[in-house]
Amino acid sequence: MKLSRRRFLKGAAAVGATTAAAAGGTAFVLLGRDHPDVAASAGVDRVVRTTCSPNCTGSCGQLAFVRDEMVVKVQQAADYPDAAYNPRGCMKGISYHTLIHGADRILKPLIRTGERGSGEFREASWDEVLERVAGDMKRIGQRWGYDSIHVFGQVPGSGYIQKGANYRASALLGLTHGTSFDFNGDLPMGMPITFGVQNAEHEAKDWANSRFLLLIGANPVETRIPDVHFLFDALEKGARMVVVDPNFSGTASKADAWLQIRPGTDAALGLAMAREILAADLGDLDFLRTYTDAPLLVRLDTGLRLRERDVVAGGSEERFAFRDERSGEIGWVGTKRLGMPRGSRAALGGTYRVRLADGSRVEVAPGFELVRRELETWTLDRAEQVTGISADRIERLARAYATSKPAAILMGGGSNHWFHGDLTGRAMGLLAAMTGNIGVSGGGFSVYVGQYKVRVNVGPWNNPDGAKAHIVPSIYFVRGRSETMHPDVPYPEHGFHGLVVTFANMFVQAPDVNRLHETLRELDLVVVVDHQMTETVKWADVVLPAATWYEKTDLTATPLHPFLQLQQAAIEPVGESRTELWMWRELVKRIAPDRAAAMEVTEDEAIEMILAAGGDRGGPTEGITLAQLRDGPVRLNVPDPDIPFLAQINDLEPFPPVSLPAPLEATAAFLPTRRIEFYKEEERFRELGETVPTYRDPHDDGVHDPSEWPLTLLTPHSKWRIHSTYGNNPWLAEIHGGRPKVLIHPDDASARGIETDDLIEVYNTRGSITAWAEVSPAAGVGAVTLPEGWWPRDFAAGKGVNELTTSEVNPIHEVHFVANMWSPSTGWKDCRCEVRRVEEAGRA
Amino acid sequence: MTAHVDVDRRTLGGARRRIGPFGLWIGFLLLVMAVAFGTWIYQVSNGLGVTNLRNTVMWGQYILFFMFFVGLSAGGLIVASSGRLFGATRFSPIVRLAVVEATVAVMLAAIFLFPDIGRPERLWHIFRYPNLTSPMVWDFTIVAAYFALSAAYVWLYTRADLAAAGSPLALGTADTPESRARDDRWKGILAWIALPAAVLLHSITAWIFGLQISRGFWYTAIMAPMFVASALVSGLALVILLALVVRRFGRLHFDDGLVSYLGALLAVFISVEAFFVLSEALTAAYPGAPFEGDPIARMLTGQFAPLFWFEVIVGLFVPFVLLARRSWRASPRVVAVAAGIAIIGIYVHRLNLVLNGLAISPIGLPPGVSVGTVQDGSSFAMSNWYVPSLVEWIIVAGVLAFGALVFTFAARWLPLQPRQH
Amino acid sequence: MPERRSPVDLLSPVSRAYGELEPPSEHPRWGMVVDTERCIGCWSCGVICKSENNVPLGMWWNRILTEGDGLDVPTSEHGHPEMSWTPLACQHCDNAPCTKVCPVQATYIREDGVVMMDNTRCIGCRYCMIACPYGVRTFNWGAPDRPNGLETGMVEARPVGTVEKCTFCVHRLEEGQVPSCVWSCPAGARIFGDLNDPDSRVSRLIRDRSGEMLLEEKGTLPKVRYLPARRRQEL
Ligand SMILES: Nc1nc2c(c(=O)[nH]1)N[C@H]1C(S)=C(S)[C@@H](COP(=O)(O)OP(=O)(O)OC[C@H]3O[C@@H](n4cnc5c(=O)[nH]c(N)nc54)[C@H](O)[C@@H]3O)O[C@H]1N2
Ligand SMILES: Nc1nc2c(c(=O)[nH]1)N[C@H]1C(S)=C(S)[C@@H](COP(=O)(O)OP(=O)(O)OC[C@H]3O[C@@H](n4cnc5c(=O)[nH]c(N)nc54)[C@H](O)[C@@H]3O)O[C@H]1N2
Ligand code: SF4
Ligand code: SF4
Ligand code: SF4
Ligand code: SF4
Ligand code: SF4
Ligand SMILES: [Mo]
Repeated sequence: MKLSRRRFLKGAAAVGATTAAAAGGTAFVLLGRDHPDVAASAGVDRVVRTTCSPNCTGSCGQLAFVRDEMVVKVQQAADYPDAAYNPRGCMKGISYHTLIHGADRILKPLIRTGERGSGEFREASWDEVLERVAGDMKRIGQRWGYDSIHVFGQVPGSGYIQKGANYRASALLGLTHGTSFDFNGDLPMGMPITFGVQNAEHEAKDWANSRFLLLIGANPVETRIPDVHFLFDALEKGARMVVVDPNFSGTASKADAWLQIRPGTDAALGLAMAREILAADLGDLDFLRTYTDAPLLVRLDTGLRLRERDVVAGGSEERFAFRDERSGEIGWVGTKRLGMPRGSRAALGGTYRVRLADGSRVEVAPGFELVRRELETWTLDRAEQVTGISADRIERLARAYATSKPAAILMGGGSNHWFHGDLTGRAMGLLAAMTGNIGVSGGGFSVYVGQYKVRVNVGPWNNPDGAKAHIVPSIYFVRGRSETMHPDVPYPEHGFHGLVVTFANMFVQAPDVNRLHETLRELDLVVVVDHQMTETVKWADVVLPAATWYEKTDLTATPLHPFLQLQQAAIEPVGESRTELWMWRELVKRIAPDRAAAMEVTEDEAIEMILAAGGDRGGPTEGITLAQLRDGPVRLNVPDPDIPFLAQINDLEPFPPVSLPAPLEATAAFLPTRRIEFYKEEERFRELGETVPTYRDPHDDGVHDPSEWPLTLLTPHSKWRIHSTYGNNPWLAEIHGGRPKVLIHPDDASARGIETDDLIEVYNTRGSITAWAEVSPAAGVGAVTLPEGWWPRDFAAGKGVNELTTSEVNPIHEVHFVANMWSPSTGWKDCRCEVRRVEEAGRA
Repeated sequence: MTAHVDVDRRTLGGARRRIGPFGLWIGFLLLVMAVAFGTWIYQVSNGLGVTNLRNTVMWGQYILFFMFFVGLSAGGLIVASSGRLFGATRFSPIVRLAVVEATVAVMLAAIFLFPDIGRPERLWHIFRYPNLTSPMVWDFTIVAAYFALSAAYVWLYTRADLAAAGSPLALGTADTPESRARDDRWKGILAWIALPAAVLLHSITAWIFGLQISRGFWYTAIMAPMFVASALVSGLALVILLALVVRRFGRLHFDDGLVSYLGALLAVFISVEAFFVLSEALTAAYPGAPFEGDPIARMLTGQFAPLFWFEVIVGLFVPFVLLARRSWRASPRVVAVAAGIAIIGIYVHRLNLVLNGLAISPIGLPPGVSVGTVQDGSSFAMSNWYVPSLVEWIIVAGVLAFGALVFTFAARWLPLQPRQH
Repeated sequence: MPERRSPVDLLSPVSRAYGELEPPSEHPRWGMVVDTERCIGCWSCGVICKSENNVPLGMWWNRILTEGDGLDVPTSEHGHPEMSWTPLACQHCDNAPCTKVCPVQATYIREDGVVMMDNTRCIGCRYCMIACPYGVRTFNWGAPDRPNGLETGMVEARPVGTVEKCTFCVHRLEEGQVPSCVWSCPAGARIFGDLNDPDSRVSRLIRDRSGEMLLEEKGTLPKVRYLPARRRQEL
């Protein structure tokens, strides 16, 4: 360390030691050792094990230490049966009691007295607010239909019971439930497109088994704090870590190499790497033959795959052609099993002519031939032009990645939160597959994003007697329906007239917030359920005070680790706050007494339902009991380490594996070939020229001409908050000072006469905010960075960062529709802006 | 009886002439003290947070005045004992005043510890649990000893005259040739103790700072000598000023020759002090190593330059020039001015020492050290500029007022003027 | 009012086992190792310290310094950014300047090497804060300020007008548990144990990865040691 690098003055130490002895001596003599015994802990009334569950992927077991019905300490439970996961938790989770008992805690139901957004409320009794909400809902239901009430609640994975209650009640009342995984831009559309799954990440523990870690757009040092040690475990075993990021992130500071990339250009990097790997003959072609659509022939006339039906009258729709290099003949593969016919050697390149059943001849080529053609255009130099990363570093990266086995790609929101994030995902998927890193421990292509994952069978709880809520992607709530919207989306006939926001800070965290505000005009009722006085709460007509996860029972899981855990009440709900289940029960009672019985279920009974539903042989919750869960986390019935696609890779089962809670048929439709697909034949892919992995400039470049709007606004996640949660944590505010700072590169700053701590305006055609400048070499040139989640009240002008972000929908994401699985994913980082100085530091 | 009467006439008669202004003066001092005492109560009940001290600058005005008055107390014994040891009989007219000054000064120094510490009611712990390795314990001891010493001096010099005047302050002792001889013998012995004691007092106070390896600016061997030198300057300067004041009120008589002689002596002390200041700055600055170098840079050119150059130019250079020329220092006015600004100079020197030593938190990495109280923005600070709060000024004023009061009474009722025979 | 129990006794067996101290030698000398390669500057150790010890707002016993230009801001020597973190609490110096200067021995070294505070004795002279080269001591300047009045923690609050600092969580050591910050470090960057036992994990780490002392040249002989960052292997 800089500090201690100075040479050790033995003399000083020696002299010191002697005087110390002297001191000790005299101390002993005179002290009479009459120091009071300070070494006893103060007692507590009880210690309760629960789970920290903001919209964070951590899902960390916490202990609540209770004294006089107050939580006086929160600390990691560190009781995971797999010691590698202990302890689990971050500085935010272990200071949550400052929020439970904090100044912004909502203690009573509230009814709006002033304008919407004025934050003027009066306290009311539960009876009054429930009557009011029930009455309004009925009125809206009768006038517009109940489906015109939109229930927006974030990521189900972090609370199957209370969040499930939203779905259950919506199903009973016929409300429309919104979506979050896609709305959050977390849904990595490259996954359903390529692998037919919602997402498929390795459990965090498996990072430690990797030899090479390629992190793109992921900042685990700040956003995966409980798991980041697994990276260090790998590094200590000699692995290398490369971080691709426009900013010198906390993670970059730990990496062997940091590649500073131009924002939104990761796909180009991936394609150039793929080309380099093929050129150097480092690809695993047999993997491509066995598991992917690479060998399957595509008709160059229609762009559709060559099916048996095309060639043989009465042939099958689901048998696909390949060309055997040995025999020069065409062979067929079905969709029941992966792999190729024994003894064959499928061609991956070239074009061929085949005679169709109707006698005509068409030119065909293996899917991979078409992929290769696209790759050919991605020379290192072109990639350098686009990404700003030097050609030779790209080359070295490609070779290092392809030659270290196993090698893992960890992708995060930074790369995914783009209009064309799907293309980045497809390129990375291609890299992982062509190096045989799929389905192997320490390898894989993992996209770590929100805690979206439903790991258990929630069907019987969310869908009473099979009744299901209408699910409409919430982006359509913000924008209204798009021309290209998928016909299966149950968009309400009369549009939306009511909004219930729960477990979400929608008016801060949603994209394009100004557009969201416009929807308010149509809304006869806005209900917000929360326990903190957030900006969103201020826009409510009625505020229902929620219990925190230290005051109620729930069941949680996360993609990052394979343990099922309970939330257990450590204290009674503070003030008059209540659980969501209770609120819905009371509302259903008042709106539809005939269906009220279905809500007469306790949390424990609901958990039992879910455990039972997934409890059959091979089911996720096989053999797991509520009693076990009460004692601590229980590993779900998944392989160890928990790695996706094992059945496909080892047993040649067709893709995709099931993505809960959707039925397999629904997601299987994403992959007609039931193989990993790099070639997409659906019409819109062909229209838009995205049949194979390719690159597109950031979408907002089309909206804001880069010559006029030279800067990109990046809004990554802050280590100090989970989105806006903990934004009002008094201890953390002491550290970071509570002032939104915009990271800007010295070049961009000096060009605008901006210095650190100047008050600056960040603006584009959608909106404008003012914050303080942090001029730093950590920022990428041409990119300004302001972490999301700051409370609007912290900004100089009281407006939050999502004033500027876009809500536009990528039509590719509308080719199929399965909520949260193939559904419009947003692009937070896809946002151009300009910056100017408002006030000099000091005066600011 | 009769004796009493004419004592009364001598003193009270004088009083009757100046009762007005004298009464006002005493009243004023008492008022200041009352306000200050109230303020101190306020400080005790709210904690030291009412000062502008924080974890970043945890020592300030109070400690500063402690050091400052320890220094001021030097003058007395120097004049007194050097008068003895080196037969500098010229001093004799002001010796009594000097020892009184010393006594009062060291008393004030001690008093300044009370507002400085967080738990004044526990000050006695220092005697109950003394830690022999703590310079602060050494300093307590020497301050106490020094107080006793100077008090003894006052007694020895004034006892006989008090007795002669039949003042109760003579504690019933009589004024006889033998007793005078005994007093003289004791003066001789005390002189031998007093001088080293004085030197020790200033050195130890210096070591409170100078032994702290944690603070680059302080950790230097020159700290002690420099303290002694600055003590000589401020101590002598104060004696000169007080002497002139008291002479003005006709309670003391000496010729201007003595004044310019003291002025010359002061000039010598100043040059010694200047020499130390220079050699310290040079030694620290020369290697340009960050640890010692930083505070020096701050002192010579940075944040603290104004203080430093004030100290050097106003505090050292100007008075030296004023006193260097025989013709100038012949005028008591000039000497008084020189002495006055020399004292201010030493105060600024102390200020500089404390503030600069604490200006940067020990490990200069962001976000710095925790401030210790809630403030807007971050709770940490890399560096801190400290300006005493009103509370601190009031309390300081109160202690000064107390000192003035004691000295006034002394000047009023102690025979400062040796009787000629 | 239910009778209260030690928070350690109330832990589940699994949790309790996680926090167990390594069996110490006969005369333990407690020390801590901080792995700067693993430290991610998350401040969990600082925050749990506040919570465990009921440290008021404005005061921190344990802070995390950024080796950079600002909090979480890297330095950039010739366009090559660098950043790392140095968590800093009381170093429990064997040759502790603070204990030497304390006039009343209110801060002293226990037999197990922990540098301790006696807040019933401290007179609040703040000399120890002057003497400490690490700036880890904090004074109680007034009535404690707590988040919305919330009293946290497992020990008593310290009286106004006295100094406080890291205690190595002695109240936990007594119950055979590692300090709270060691428990709560999510990166495994804090290791605690007996420096007198040559085979303890801390002793081995200090040997094998040359644990360094902070401000070694001041001769304070800290019992907290820092493991240097590993060398990076370029692409
Ligand atoms: N502390 C904390 N942890 C969290 C969350 C939180 O809010 N706070 N949120 C949780 C949730 S829901 C999510 S979705 C995840 C998100 O967390 P991450 O997956 O880490 O995503 P971000 O923080 O958005 O961005 C990560 C990095 O991508 C960089 N980046 C930005 N644009 C680009 C780009 O175009 N290319 C590349 N290669 N990099 C880019 C950013 O500079 C940033 O350093 O974190 C989860 N964990
Ligand atoms: N500009 C920009 N915006 C972004 C992102 C970005 O990268 N850039 N990231 C996006 C991503 S990835 C995500 S996941 C979203 C997250 O968006 P949100 O999930 O809306 O963000 P949070 O701030 O976590 O809001 C959670 C809210 O739920 C409340 N809450 C907590 N517990 C409970 C409970 O038990 N009951 C109820 N009723 N409420 C509770 C909290 O108090 C808080 O107000 O943000 C998105 N927004
Ligand atoms: S905030 Fe997230 S990471 Fe931190 S403790 Fe809670 S769940 Fe874990
Ligand atoms: S908790 Fe661990 S990783 Fe976090 S700052 Fe402290 S030492 Fe570093
Ligand atoms: S770090 Fe400071 S407070 Fe702790 S023992 Fe060392 S000197 Fe004393
Ligand atoms: S402040 Fe307390 S502990 Fe520190 S030196 Fe003074 S008395 Fe000792
Ligand atoms: S050992 Fe205990 S007191 Fe010391 S920093 Fe860690 S938590 Fe705080
Ligand atoms: Mo997310």
